[in-house]
Amino acid sequence: MFRKVFVLWSILIGFTIFISIQSYTQDAPEVSAKGKEVYEHSCAHCHGIEGRGDGSAAENLLPKPRDFTRGLYKIRSTESGELPTDQDLFDIITDGMPGSSMPGWESQLKADERWEVVSYIKTFYDGFKERETPPREISLEGKIAYSAESAQIGKTLYTDLGCIECHGNVGRGDGTSAPTLTDAWNDRTWPANLAENWNFRGGTDTEDIFKRFIGGIAGSPMPAFEGDSFLHFGLSSEESKRLSEMENKDEMTPEEEEESGKLYEKMDEAVLVALDRAEGTELTPEAQKIYDDAMKVVAEKSWHLANYVKSLSPEKRPETAIGNNSLRSQYTVEELPIIEDEAWNTLEDSYYPLVGQVVIEPRQFNPTIDSVRVKSFYNDTEVAFLFTWHDRTHNIEVEENEDTGTSYEDGIAIQFPVKPPKGPTDEKPYFLWGGKKPVYVWQWKASEQDKITELTVKGVNNVTVQENQGDLNVKGEYKDGEYRLWVKRALTTDDKKDLQLEPGVFVPIAFSAWDGANGDKDIKRVMSSWYSFVLEPVPSSRRFIYPPIVALLSVGFLIGLRGFVQRRNSASDEAETEQ
Amino acid sequence: MKRISLFTICFVIFIACWVFLQFVIGGVISKPIPNSVIGMYMALVLVAILVHVSVEDSRFKEFLRPVYETLVDDRYRVRRLVLVIVIPLLLTGFSYTNLAQKTPPPGDPRDAHPTPPLELKYKDEVIETMQKAQNPYRHYEKDDPETFRSHVENGKKVYYDNCFYCHGDHLDGQGHFAHGLQPLPANFQDPGIIPNFQEAYFFWRISKGGPGLPASGTPWNTAMPVWEDHLTQEEIWDVILFLSDYTGYKYRTFGEGH
Amino acid sequence: MKIKLLTSLAVLLVFSLGLIVFADDHGKSDEMNKLVFPKSYSAKAVSGGGKISGVVKFEGDLPEKKKLEINKDEAVCGAEDKYDESVVVGEGKELKNTIVYLMDISTGKDFDKKAKLEMDQKGCKFTPHVQIVPVGARLTMLNSDKVNHNVHIFSSINKEVNKPQPKVRKKMPLAAVKKAEGPVEVKCDIHGWMKAWIAYVPHPYFAVTNEKGEFTLEDVPAGTYKLGYWHEACGSNIKEPVTVTVAAGGEVKQDFTLKLKK
Repeated sequence: MFRKVFVLWSILIGFTIFISIQSYTQDAPEVSAKGKEVYEHSCAHCHGIEGRGDGSAAENLLPKPRDFTRGLYKIRSTESGELPTDQDLFDIITDGMPGSSMPGWESQLKADERWEVVSYIKTFYDGFKERETPPREISLEGKIAYSAESAQIGKTLYTDLGCIECHGNVGRGDGTSAPTLTDAWNDRTWPANLAENWNFRGGTDTEDIFKRFIGGIAGSPMPAFEGDSFLHFGLSSEESKRLSEMENKDEMTPEEEEESGKLYEKMDEAVLVALDRAEGTELTPEAQKIYDDAMKVVAEKSWHLANYVKSLSPEKRPETAIGNNSLRSQYTVEELPIIEDEAWNTLEDSYYPLVGQVVIEPRQFNPTIDSVRVKSFYNDTEVAFLFTWHDRTHNIEVEENEDTGTSYEDGIAIQFPVKPPKGPTDEKPYFLWGGKKPVYVWQWKASEQDKITELTVKGVNNVTVQENQGDLNVKGEYKDGEYRLWVKRALTTDDKKDLQLEPGVFVPIAFSAWDGANGDKDIKRVMSSWYSFVLEPVPSSRRFIYPPIVALLSVGFLIGLRGFVQRRNSASDEAETEQ
Repeated sequence: MKRISLFTICFVIFIACWVFLQFVIGGVISKPIPNSVIGMYMALVLVAILVHVSVEDSRFKEFLRPVYETLVDDRYRVRRLVLVIVIPLLLTGFSYTNLAQKTPPPGDPRDAHPTPPLELKYKDEVIETMQKAQNPYRHYEKDDPETFRSHVENGKKVYYDNCFYCHGDHLDGQGHFAHGLQPLPANFQDPGIIPNFQEAYFFWRISKGGPGLPASGTPWNTAMPVWEDHLTQEEIWDVILFLSDYTGYKYRTFGEGH
Repeated sequence: MKIKLLTSLAVLLVFSLGLIVFADDHGKSDEMNKLVFPKSYSAKAVSGGGKISGVVKFEGDLPEKKKLEINKDEAVCGAEDKYDESVVVGEGKELKNTIVYLMDISTGKDFDKKAKLEMDQKGCKFTPHVQIVPVGARLTMLNSDKVNHNVHIFSSINKEVNKPQPKVRKKMPLAAVKKAEGPVEVKCDIHGWMKAWIAYVPHPYFAVTNEKGEFTLEDVPAGTYKLGYWHEACGSNIKEPVTVTVAAGGEVKQDFTLKLKK
């Protein structure tokens, strides 16, 4: 009896344990303790303990840390609407997301730890365990190598597909829709500046650009251009070209109506196949062929477009203009070039990265201006500077907007000490708007583009507009997401509060810039610390005089030396023979 | 076998010394040595060589023999000709490049670890002398690990709410604003940072920021904010606990040898 | 002895069931602003069904009528003034764009397969503002404007959709979805003010109120049902649905009065 009871009990307990384990594992498959530990140590302060992207640091970040509970992942190698592959997640953790606050973790976490984190963050969204088939990956077949022609075709597509709506005419993220974009969490978001690829979140290779374009960027306004989303899906390149011609006419002739009608029918057929595929219907061989043919055209065009986008940026972020890279104003005997002058193209840009001002309240944690670039010429009496910087929006006044907040006026300030330091140990004014030692500032505002106000500043609350204005010639302009500001001034002025310039002397320079649409105003701004520039002296003409003299002297010396030695030798020989 | 001349030996030693200074010490072992310093060392080497060869008259003669021979002996006509061309050419080139050189940018004389003041202050309140000041929460590490953990956790929160923009997610000074800052934000993962300073030193640097530096620390350049304007004393001590907890480095304490 | 055994068995069973229930429940998020769908639904011909109809009215102070700021493509989008459509009422505060539906019906009529399922983008505005889409059916997006649009549907149970619809693409059918969901927001990111709602539903007993605040659910098999509503600005009654009993061939009137959700 006792034995029977025991057996029965054992079975019951075993069954119970089995059931409970079963139900738990169904709920959270393979929750790895290690992944949870690493996540909570390294990720949770931004992404939140529950993966909602609401860690304590999230408040001041934009782009916001990813909320893992909605299954929306920006950087994927998979088709639109699909979840990312594990490899995608692993790569993002490893490499980080440039232009955001997500760093690469390769140096901090071992590969197996990163994999553990991948499986852990997948538990935040049920879609991962519910998916029955592996995600469809974007095919990278048929890659077209970069060529100027390919980029040119891409450029046409860039306009036809509507990329300019957000990314702007030449890709600086200044499209007319840019100021109002929000993401799936209703957070403000900006279209990528395609001319600054070092801020691309998912990499700068042509393949990366291709994948973002085809698969879209989930949760963001960037649509997916795959399959039937592509313009004229189902037509060959030639047919598509012909149809574009007809579509761009105000009115079609009856013949054209008929011709285009046929093309539309062909497109409709292909679109229905694409929908069947998207819905998971098995395609007949004929349908599959229609789809494959259409996708070949899509891929071809997309590679052209990716090549075009790739061509808009330099290979990498330019070197900062510091040390031997510092800005050197170029001497010219001629009249200094005006803003439109081609002569500016002969100079290289000096690149100054700008970052948010986070020292004094109100702080700017999410800057939108990446950098300012400077070129300069000078002659015997004057110096001219050309400052350029990217800003997605042209704000010339205060504007209230319920969704995006108040926007202010754009501007830039160029800051110098009043007197150049005498040597490296001579104290400079405080980099942020001066202090006990004053700074001399050129302040430019977008609403008055041909004017600069000269300021003397001794700290945030001590800004004086100089009495003597008008020493500067100024021209400013905004076009396609870029400000250009041209300033010309005499090397020396009568005003004691101005900086006086002298060739060969390094002068500290710092920048502040305001993107009004990003809430920049007064001390809330982007800025740089001190750099320095020099009016590069004309290479001394002595370099043609002294070296020949040195040559003659040294030859003379050697001949003389030989003579001397010879004489001494013969003298000592004589002495020896005498002895 | 022909004996190698004393001159050649000296010449080789001289060049070897230079290579050693320029590339071995100033490249493989540590950072490049400034040219002025190398110049000084090389002058010493030269003097040493000259002293060595001129101690005995015969040795000096032996040393100078190849020079004499090159200058006068007809056997060495080719060598002589080559030298007469090469030496002036080198000198000419050197003087030209010297004259045509671009203006060198000013150096950075910054003292990265300036001397702290004698007293540790928070705002105007004197906490303790710099020597004696202790992290008031450090003792929990032994006494009450749970309370200690809560201070570290709070320090972590403070760090990620305020510091990581510049000092980085990894505490390595590579935050997403770091690329725009000169000097670079401190790297707490560098073994030369945390172990070399007391907690009080960190308190001083955090609370007074860039503007609180003495002139040798070039306070006009650094973007480090004055954190006593934003953080409480406890928050600053907590973040100091977090820095060593995260990196695994221990702060310097007096008594362990100075 | 046997009793002891049985009790233990019962205790263990309850315990394990409890674990299962707990495991199932855990992690469910707040679904207050969504619709409620039956676990399953089977379609069959309905004869002699009843009818539920009524009027939805708005109660309380109307939010200020907000004019939308048209900041691009003014020629096409700004031809006439546009207003925020989150609360649209008639003269007697009859509330448009409210979904009224049966929460717990498990058998009933099939969808009207012939009905056109279209959402237009005209004058840079989605019409209708609230669209019911049967699960498994294809919604066709129209672009009646000479400007580029993009259709961004923020699904979370189904796949997120974000497709460009350039000005030359007049009709764009969308792939059918597999699961009931919603309502989910639809946006055109190019024209940030363009917003609408789509509900993917598993059965045809859903109605959207018209300008007069009226709704009608027809061919409802006789029985007792929970009647729910959903409105963009006024929320839903998931927690306190109205119970209605429909007699064969009969008609039930049920009005609603909605307030802005807090």
